[in-house]
Amino acid sequence: MLLNGIHIDDTFAEAFNMRGTRVIITAQNHKWAYHAANAMTGFATSVIGCGVEAGIERELSADETPDGRPGVNVLMFAMGSKVLMQQLETRMGQCILTCPTAAAFAGIDSEDQINLGKHLRYFGDGYQTSKLLNGIRYWRIPVMDGEFLVQETTGMVRAIGGGNFLILATSQASALHAAETAIVAMKQVPNVIMPFPGGVVRSGSKVGSKYPSMFASTNDAFCPTLKGLVNTELSDDIESVMEIVIDGLSFDDIAISMKVGIEAICALNKISGEKSGVKRISAGNYGGKLGPHHFKLHEILGGKST
Amino acid sequence: MKPLTFTLKKLAPSKVDCRRLTPDKLEGLSIKQILEITLNNTFKVIDLFDIIGEDFEQIVFRNSSPQLAYIGHEMSRGSITIEADCGDFLGANMRGGHIICHGNAGDRVGDQMRRGLILIDGNAGDYCGSRMLAGTIGVHGQVGNYTGFGMKRGTILLTKPTNLHATLQDCGAHNLPFLKLLLNAIKPLKSKFSALNSIRVQRYGGDIACSGTGEILVLQ
Repeated sequence: MLLNGIHIDDTFAEAFNMRGTRVIITAQNHKWAYHAANAMTGFATSVIGCGVEAGIERELSADETPDGRPGVNVLMFAMGSKVLMQQLETRMGQCILTCPTAAAFAGIDSEDQINLGKHLRYFGDGYQTSKLLNGIRYWRIPVMDGEFLVQETTGMVRAIGGGNFLILATSQASALHAAETAIVAMKQVPNVIMPFPGGVVRSGSKVGSKYPSMFASTNDAFCPTLKGLVNTELSDDIESVMEIVIDGLSFDDIAISMKVGIEAICALNKISGEKSGVKRISAGNYGGKLGPHHFKLHEILGGKST
Repeated sequence: MKPLTFTLKKLAPSKVDCRRLTPDKLEGLSIKQILEITLNNTFKVIDLFDIIGEDFEQIVFRNSSPQLAYIGHEMSRGSITIEADCGDFLGANMRGGHIICHGNAGDRVGDQMRRGLILIDGNAGDYCGSRMLAGTIGVHGQVGNYTGFGMKRGTILLTKPTNLHATLQDCGAHNLPFLKLLLNAIKPLKSKFSALNSIRVQRYGGDIACSGTGEILVLQ
């Protein structure tokens, strides 16, 4: 399949079941809401080493938040509920409690509730107070800048992690520019995050390694500098590959974001007749044996060449 | 469904104990049974009130007077609206739900209340919020002496400065973001508090005579 001259592989992205939650972070202004949310979602690129994958979903205006202040939505995903609960409490304690003027509220409804401020309240050393408003409990914890306001719990839902696609381009600069273009478009899609730095990952991995202690290692088939040495997936003109990984609340959310991202890259070829340098879009999978969710590129994109 | 409305027919010769007229205590009763409820030793409901309405979760007192004491005592849910003045111990030992009084209330509003919300458009008497354990009381008018006497926790929200006794200590003026949540929550309840939007308050903490961490917030 071809989209504006870019070859779309007949393959699929393989994704996994995760647990997810959303937290609304507010502050005196957007600058400080971002400081808090950036800290909370920092070092949260991959569950392999970080416990959770997290990111800022979108910005909220003052009239969209519970306390009428500017804010952002944070989405956080983990492989299991226990890790998600641990990571949320740790990150709330170190990143939101500590951040000047920040407050935190539940961002998603669910029967499953996990602790947001329930245990953080003990930081108040007995001076913490709670209010039950319309059936929701909030905690007020005295801190040096005034009061830290936090909802007691937030919802936890079933979610999906590991949606992805690969951008194969004739130069590193072209691959990065295409990836950046895709991320700008994908950030407009609700219910998803792209957890890697700037939304983009360059170190795709394969299962296993020559070293017995390593479970995963570099995806040599997609490494351009190894083209002549390994059973490569790359044609002669590909000089750089980048990947975008997506976690979302549902299959459709991820499928829509993949479509939006890939189409944004393919639209680059249309702009003033310039060539994007992107030759191929592919996706990462493990042969379909590990993850229950398969995002088939041709299906997502409607299957018609343009 | 129309709220269950008690309209006072005549002034009683003494105080009337209304503690049995709450959503909790009226649950499952017929109008006929309600009319036979004994209030004080001498009065039954039928002697003093006309009743209309069928929604027992929403109770209204119409043509009310300062003789009506203990309205909302131990209530845990639903709402009580008092269209004029009421007597002492409004919402005493309350455990949930909300009470709105459009007139003035007597002494000991919310005495020993544990949860819930009481909003008074008019004035409240002495010992407002006395021995409060938690919950929220709002008084739009004036309060009498010894507001928050012996309070352990909870919030008393005032719109006018008042003299407090020595064991409620001034903690200074602050912008409290939580007030936005509180004011948003009480906005739909149709009281004078619906028009408020300031989150700047003078905060008094106490009652430290009983190691209390309650607060009296005076809106600025």
